[in-house]
Amino acid sequence: MEFVRPDSIEATVAALQADGAACLAGGATLVAMMNADLVAPHRLVSLRDVAALREAARQPDGTVVVGAMRRHRETAEETDLRDGQLVLSEAAAQIANPPVRNMGTIGGSCAFADPAADYPPALLAADARFSLIGAEGRRTVPAGDFFLDWYETALEPGELIESVVLPPAPARTVGSYTKLARVAGDFAIASVALVLGMDGRACIHLAVAVGACGPAPVRRRDVEADLIGGGLGDTEIRRLTDALAEAFDPVDDVRASADYRRRVAPRMVRQALVEAQQRISETP
Amino acid sequence: MTPLDTSATGVGASLPRLDAREKVTGRAQYIADMVRPGMLHAAIHASPHAHARIRGYDTAEAQAVPGVACVLTGDDFPDGRMGAFIKDEPAIAKGKVRYPGEPVAVVAAEDEETARRAAALIRVDYEDLPVAATPEEAVAPDAPLIHEGLADYFKVFPAICGGNVASETELSEGDVDAAWADCDVIVEGDFETPAQAHLSIEPVGALAEVDAEGRVTLWSANQSVFRVQANVCEALQLPMSKLRCLTPKVGAGFGNKMEPHVQPLVVQLALKTGRPVKLILNRTEDFETVRARHPFKIRCKTGAKKDGTLVARELSAVLDCGAYGDDSPGVLGYSLLMSRGPYRIPHCRASGKLVYTNRMRFGAFRGFGNPQVTFATESQIDEIAGRLGMDPLDLRMKNRMQPGDRWFGGGEVASNGLAECIEKAKAAAGWARGRALPAPPGKRRALGVAACAHISGLLATGAIVRLLEDGSVVLNTGAVDIGQGSDTVLTQMCASALKVPADRVAIASPDTDGSPYNWGTTASRVTYTTGRSVVAAAGKVAEQIKRHASEIFECAVEDLELRDGGRVGIKGVPDKELSFFEVSGRAHWAAGGPIVGTDTWVYNQPSVDPKRALARGLPFPQIGVYSFGCMIAAVEIDETTGKADVVEVWSAMDVGKAINPGSVEGQIEGGFVQGMGFALTEEMVFDGPRLANPSMMDYKAPTSLDAPFDIHSIIVEAAEPGGPFGAKGIGEIGLVPVPAAIANAVASAIGTRLRRLPLTPERVLDGMLEDGDED
Repeated sequence: MEFVRPDSIEATVAALQADGAACLAGGATLVAMMNADLVAPHRLVSLRDVAALREAARQPDGTVVVGAMRRHRETAEETDLRDGQLVLSEAAAQIANPPVRNMGTIGGSCAFADPAADYPPALLAADARFSLIGAEGRRTVPAGDFFLDWYETALEPGELIESVVLPPAPARTVGSYTKLARVAGDFAIASVALVLGMDGRACIHLAVAVGACGPAPVRRRDVEADLIGGGLGDTEIRRLTDALAEAFDPVDDVRASADYRRRVAPRMVRQALVEAQQRISETP
Repeated sequence: MTPLDTSATGVGASLPRLDAREKVTGRAQYIADMVRPGMLHAAIHASPHAHARIRGYDTAEAQAVPGVACVLTGDDFPDGRMGAFIKDEPAIAKGKVRYPGEPVAVVAAEDEETARRAAALIRVDYEDLPVAATPEEAVAPDAPLIHEGLADYFKVFPAICGGNVASETELSEGDVDAAWADCDVIVEGDFETPAQAHLSIEPVGALAEVDAEGRVTLWSANQSVFRVQANVCEALQLPMSKLRCLTPKVGAGFGNKMEPHVQPLVVQLALKTGRPVKLILNRTEDFETVRARHPFKIRCKTGAKKDGTLVARELSAVLDCGAYGDDSPGVLGYSLLMSRGPYRIPHCRASGKLVYTNRMRFGAFRGFGNPQVTFATESQIDEIAGRLGMDPLDLRMKNRMQPGDRWFGGGEVASNGLAECIEKAKAAAGWARGRALPAPPGKRRALGVAACAHISGLLATGAIVRLLEDGSVVLNTGAVDIGQGSDTVLTQMCASALKVPADRVAIASPDTDGSPYNWGTTASRVTYTTGRSVVAAAGKVAEQIKRHASEIFECAVEDLELRDGGRVGIKGVPDKELSFFEVSGRAHWAAGGPIVGTDTWVYNQPSVDPKRALARGLPFPQIGVYSFGCMIAAVEIDETTGKADVVEVWSAMDVGKAINPGSVEGQIEGGFVQGMGFALTEEMVFDGPRLANPSMMDYKAPTSLDAPFDIHSIIVEAAEPGGPFGAKGIGEIGLVPVPAAIANAVASAIGTRLRRLPLTPERVLDGMLEDGDED
């Protein structure tokens, strides 16, 4: 196995154009998989020396660009994230445990695309986009088109996640991330990411994504759109949870049964929406 | 020698672990750290089949890998068999395989990677056999026979066995069948507990080396160098004098390292190659091939009178033995012995069946079957309280065993701190505030309680105490400190018995050549059994010290006393004294010979009185002394998901005497957290015969992030008359009541009785939505 340590994005992209090349970001997942004999890359391309990937920045319009090499702990404490964007820092704070949060990166986690991971639903609810770079240049892929299937993303061979871009969240929206796991630090049995804005009793912004209930995070923009402008009581929440549940495609695994996921995720969505409305109503 | 304050380090002091510094700084040597000159590394070729005949091996490709020194298959091993109760297990599969992951061949090579690569190249010709993955399948009429030779195997007890049933046991007192008519309330139910993984932080491993005379030295992760010696010698048909067993530091053992794992494999490789050979299992192999807590299916029935007086109990259990007997007959017998609980129940019958299956072997695990039956029996105590509208703690107090009462079967109980445990736990937990507690919105909180008992004892042990020339002391017991702190505790006892500071006592590392026999670090026994030998051996040293002093001072031995700091003097005459230095110098160079005290004994109190009880197929005639405990847990349920979390715990445990209170608290806390895992999250999931979650990613034990911040350890000291300083064991009992106490709290919170562990969010949510049958 070859180990290379480029110091620029261009050199990294060049190094990735070989068969069996893999990016080594924080190593939290890749190294564990190598130890378990699940993957055996021919070339490891370390991203450690690529300074540009480690930055996060807030643009004047409120857009936040999070470099692929930002550690989970940094994202959990990111002061550039505001209002509904905080769904991302809440998710980052609940990933695994402190040692993993100090190692693992947002780019690495998203590229691996474990459906029970915490970032995919959070990014989907935040309407985030991935900025990818490969031999052909840069392209942008919305989160909803990035997570395709079990451990499968829109990344092409030889392509690298450069950053994750969060659009500005409308003022006074709140973001929240709720996770159910067997023990602290485990992957989710189910998780709910949401961004919510209310004007009095009217819902003015609504984004709800459910994780670990299928190959990719689930969101129902069609129903969300219908609910904008109205109240968000039991009936409306029920419409959304029913629609979400239709889109679930969970499996039985050692964490929980598919049946339980189908039943518990709507309950979690309802609870998260009730709590988010309460938070908004309590904010002066 | 300057007199030192011995009380600060002796019995009753929370002396820090003797090896705390070396462990915290990473200098402690575990088996994986050990290196010997010219050492080879071994790897296992494991069976992919659950049950198959081995028709032949092709090892040519593996042998040809550069760096491979030796490849051995079942054909290269002697025909010996090992097993604590039933000698049914070869060192490596011979003729057939009985579980997925069973070692079929082993490779020794210059490095681990080469050994593993070569092991993967071994070809084995298998003929698949029908599989019995569960006890139900294994007792079906057309079930495949897992051990064709069962009838002929040597057994250390009168086993009732046949077909795939490895052992049947029954114990009864009174007239159960007639007693139900006297009961005003009867509760009955089926309980189920899963396989739990030991999850020692250190996976198992071993290193063997052959000397020029052909004698083997074997280091391994173990709970008894003597059991290692016995097992390897049985499997490989070696005289015990040809094998010396030693131990490095051990990274925890919960029963998994008591009986054999890979030790016979490295010994045979070392004998064949003439070079040192080391084998360390990785986490997956450790999960799949070592051993785990038995899955239990329990049917339990308990009856009481209107006033709460317990009348009758009937319990029957089916245990999945796995492919080999290991400690399983003991677990079955012990669980039945515990099935009455610490109560007066005049009519009791407990019976059980241990069934071979094509799964990994199950064996000893902290609690030894007691947590499983206690989950059932203590759930039913709460059910009866509910039916009668009584307070569950009052019901326990009312029916508790009284001082002088005998254990189920008739064994004597010399000390009983149960009432104090119940009262102290009750007061500390604020039980009087009611079982339903105030909870944050969206949550429910409730208290749950369970009482229990456990033994410390079993079998043989010894100690040798030697006075060195300068008056300091060497203690040698052969008991392996597996991380629980027995070296520290035994040192404190020896120091107190001789009135020297603990730092003047060295403790020898266990060595089958030089240590007295010690059955093992298991059965919560080291403090009690080995401690007793330490005190007796130190007493013999004290006698000899006094005899020397009496000759020097020309006074009677009875007039002499030991004084703090390693001195002997005439009672009432402060300036008439000698240091141990002076006494030992005389003994070494002038008169009497070096001072050595030795003691050995075997636990010999009968567990069954044939005049009181009927016992069939009981694997141990002499079990041990009894400890008692009571635990209360405050549990919070999330109404959205059903997830249960323990928020606070009060655990009162009767240890006779806390030799090292800090260590006792550590055992109570550790036992609680491991029990909480068993209750809430831990489950080895099987896909037919195969373990589906053999990794720490898929199998989840709680960590410090899940444990409640407040675990209140309450030490109760009902002195055991024969115990050293009155002490009895604490290694296991802290875990025993945990699943029952948590399940009782959950039942209180959700209104439904759950009888299957673990209490996953799914099961709790189902119970809460059903909101049903709890009274």
